Amino acid sequence: MRHATNSDQLHGTLDMLVLKILEVGPLHGYAIAVRLERLSRDVLSVEEGSLYPALYRMERRGWLASAWSVTEKGRRARFYKLTRTGRAQLDAETASWLRLTTAVGDVLNG
Amino acid sequence: MMAIRLAWARLRALFRRNATADEIREELDFHVQMRTDEYAQAGLDTHAARLAALRRFGSLAVIQDRGYDVRGGGVMETLLQDVKYGLRQLRRYPSFSIVAILTLALGAGVSTALFSVIDAALLRPLPYPNPEELVTLDVEEARPNGESTRYAPSMADIRTWRTLTTIVSHAGMGRVSGFLPLIVDTGTPQRLTVAEASEDFLEAYGIVPILGRNIQLDDTREGAPDVALLGHAFWQQAFGGDLKVLGRSLRIQDRPVTIVGVLPAGFYNETAVWQAKRFSSLMFDRRGSGTPVVARLRPGITLAQARAALDALTPPSTMTGPAPVPAHVFIQSMYDDETDQFGTTLRTLSMAVGLIVLIGCINVAGLVLARGAMRDVELAIRASIGAGRGRLVRQLLTESLLLASAGAIVGVLVAYTSLDALVGLIPLSLPANSPAAINGTVLAFALGLTVVSALLFGLVPAIKLSRSPKLIGTMLSVGGRSGAPLSKRAGQWLIGVEIALALVLMTGSGLMLRSFARLLAVDLGYDANNVLTLEVEPLDRTTAIRLAYYVSLANELRRLPEVVSAGAIDQLALMGGGSFAFPTADTGAKIAGPQRTVLPGYLEAMGVRPLAGRLLEEADRAAGEAAVVNATASQQYFGGSPIGHTLRTEGKNPSYWRIVGVVPDIRHGGPQGRIDPQMYVLPDPRAPEAFPITLAMVMRLREGAPLRLERLKQIAEMLGPRVLVGQARPAQTLISQQVREPRHRMLLLTLLGVFGLLLTLVGVFSTTAYAVARRTREIGVRAAFGARPGQVVGVMIQDAVWPVAFGLVTGLAGAYYTTRIIRGFLFQTTPYDPGTLTAVVALLGATAGLAAWLPARRAASVDPLSALRAE
Repeated sequence: MRHATNSDQLHGTLDMLVLKILEVGPLHGYAIAVRLERLSRDVLSVEEGSLYPALYRMERRGWLASAWSVTEKGRRARFYKLTRTGRAQLDAETASWLRLTTAVGDVLNG
Repeated sequence: MMAIRLAWARLRALFRRNATADEIREELDFHVQMRTDEYAQAGLDTHAARLAALRRFGSLAVIQDRGYDVRGGGVMETLLQDVKYGLRQLRRYPSFSIVAILTLALGAGVSTALFSVIDAALLRPLPYPNPEELVTLDVEEARPNGESTRYAPSMADIRTWRTLTTIVSHAGMGRVSGFLPLIVDTGTPQRLTVAEASEDFLEAYGIVPILGRNIQLDDTREGAPDVALLGHAFWQQAFGGDLKVLGRSLRIQDRPVTIVGVLPAGFYNETAVWQAKRFSSLMFDRRGSGTPVVARLRPGITLAQARAALDALTPPSTMTGPAPVPAHVFIQSMYDDETDQFGTTLRTLSMAVGLIVLIGCINVAGLVLARGAMRDVELAIRASIGAGRGRLVRQLLTESLLLASAGAIVGVLVAYTSLDALVGLIPLSLPANSPAAINGTVLAFALGLTVVSALLFGLVPAIKLSRSPKLIGTMLSVGGRSGAPLSKRAGQWLIGVEIALALVLMTGSGLMLRSFARLLAVDLGYDANNVLTLEVEPLDRTTAIRLAYYVSLANELRRLPEVVSAGAIDQLALMGGGSFAFPTADTGAKIAGPQRTVLPGYLEAMGVRPLAGRLLEEADRAAGEAAVVNATASQQYFGGSPIGHTLRTEGKNPSYWRIVGVVPDIRHGGPQGRIDPQMYVLPDPRAPEAFPITLAMVMRLREGAPLRLERLKQIAEMLGPRVLVGQARPAQTLISQQVREPRHRMLLLTLLGVFGLLLTLVGVFSTTAYAVARRTREIGVRAAFGARPGQVVGVMIQDAVWPVAFGLVTGLAGAYYTTRIIRGFLFQTTPYDPGTLTAVVALLGATAGLAAWLPARRAASVDPLSALRAE
């Protein structure tokens, strides 16, 4: 194995953003996408659909849990919420991200 | 019916029950719908809104697949998903799919056809009840010099053995009679295959007549009325399946025979009539009649037990001289007896076909690798969003299996529709009652082959490709074709192995071609151009009538303006046979060679000139005592000067000939026929019983003056007695029939060799083309730095040179070890024939070179700027 996919930074970023968004409460995929795009100011212009495999993966890792529910407008949708593991993961990722950005900032600020 | 409905219901439930997939679908649809609503509120019309939403979302199908990778489903659901996904992939690269499927279809087609022959010849050659109880029996005599000779047992032996009722349940003798089909007359005479059998012969096979009775002991006594059973096909053809056929009669060789039974279908369909074989008191205890003996042993009796028991009841032989020689029973299972002959041919063909399949698999492996490398973006994305490596390997293998199945379906269909033609090419006479067919066993084989070949060509690429995905690299250069082909080395190995296998295969083809060319170059001793033969026979068996007929027909033919000269020869000679009378020369030598009865004009028609003396003339016929011998007989028995010597047969009424000339050796039996001492004699009018034979007319035609069969038939039928006119064949046709087996062997192996060459061409071409496509950027850089087109081509070809060279050398070594098995099929050619090997290496090397050069040349024309921008 030459490449360790799970240490992938960009990948991790998306995860972190999703976890962060879900911190406020359960949301369905479309709502996550809308917030994601607002939060990241359209920097992440990946195909919207790519969000879903990422959601499923995080669910499989136990960071998220999902259930079918009804939206305010009475439509059936699958809602995702943060699990305890997910919250821990978010903390860890945030810490690691801060360390990295601080280090980069230090370098840049000389 | 019920079972089918149930299976169908289950299958549909399976499709419907894929809950995971449905859930994903619903979730994604919801998303797209929400986005559509948003756009609609912003003022787009419904249709445009939906399109925009979809565009923004990305491919629904792809996302669903990726989502499915992560969420997963049941085993069957995943498999279905894999299959659907795989089909989509195959459609996405149509040229890849078509080349791969055709390649696999070729292998599947030829191997299915061959396997149906193996199935018929080796797996089910004896379609009789309990075939393991069937044996063939011979009597073996030990000679004083230690050699042993095998003879067919006598009827007396058989009846004695049959008294051992605890060992033998049935035993009898039977065979297709004679060298030529017999004339069977049911109103319109035809030449048909007629068999003769003793009592208990059909019973041994377990054959029960569907009408009437079997041949009984009383039918075989000398002087018993002639009785026969009809073969099923002949019963249908000649009697329309008449149920009241028993008791009716037909004529076989102009003798009336009463029908006593009808055999079931499927038992020697070619044989029209089974006659009772009759034994004179002289023939009854004579061994060596050449009629095979079959027996059915009691269940559980081994060959050794049977041999010991029968041996005790086998009297010494008195065949070879006055002193009795101890005789032993030689027993063989009928299976071995039937299948011995197939060994080498089927082994050779299996090997050649196996090579085709392997080469095909290697080709497809190369294609899968190449396509896989183009898909690394897709694979990387799938891996990064959580599809495990096992999942990817399984997906890739499913795609391989789909390819292999498509190939197998096409191949089996081709094999099914062209089976007769393909089987006809295989130089074997399959067991009479077991024709080749695409049946369950054969289909099971095709299925097994499909799975094995999918693993063969799919596993290595699957493992290699599933290892490569890396997200960053692909995200940063999405759509990019990086310069390092992940499978360059693998591709080179594949080319090397492919070339080696193709070389082995093509060496076999080359040797067959060379051998066949040498076969055709053999001097047959006569000039076959413009020679026409005509088979014709009076129904009347009276010697005087037949002889008179042939003489007047020859005269009639000579009168035709198209005919230069005409005569006749014993019809058996056209097939390389002849009668043996073993006459004694006045020197005391016994001439051991075929004696060919001819009418004057025969040798002239064959374009033969005497080496010494003269040919036979019409004037000799009245006296009937002139003969001509060939050069071999002249050397062997007369020290090269036979003229004036005499020959005399033994017996009460001897024939007598004076030798008047010497002619060159003529190979009547074709180029592979032996050269025997031969005598050409005129029919002896004083020994009419020596002339029951059938002659064939032979005539030399004027150049460019064809004679039609209709015309000949007219002349032959106009002359008086009722006759049966057979085929009119140019001597060239006869020769090509004589070399039918080697020609078919040559054609088959050449065909397979050409397939091998084509596959190699495709393989090398696609691998190089792929490498060129991958390296467009590198080529651009080189061109930008001033590399000349020639250099660019050189760089591209370089990658192919070493694998090809490696393949050629390895292939030569492989050919050295494998072509030995066809040694027996080669005529005046060794398996190491240097000319053939050189030609094959040159041809294969040149083809591989061409296949590498074509795509490489394209690389040279790459425009540096656009190549760089392609990234």
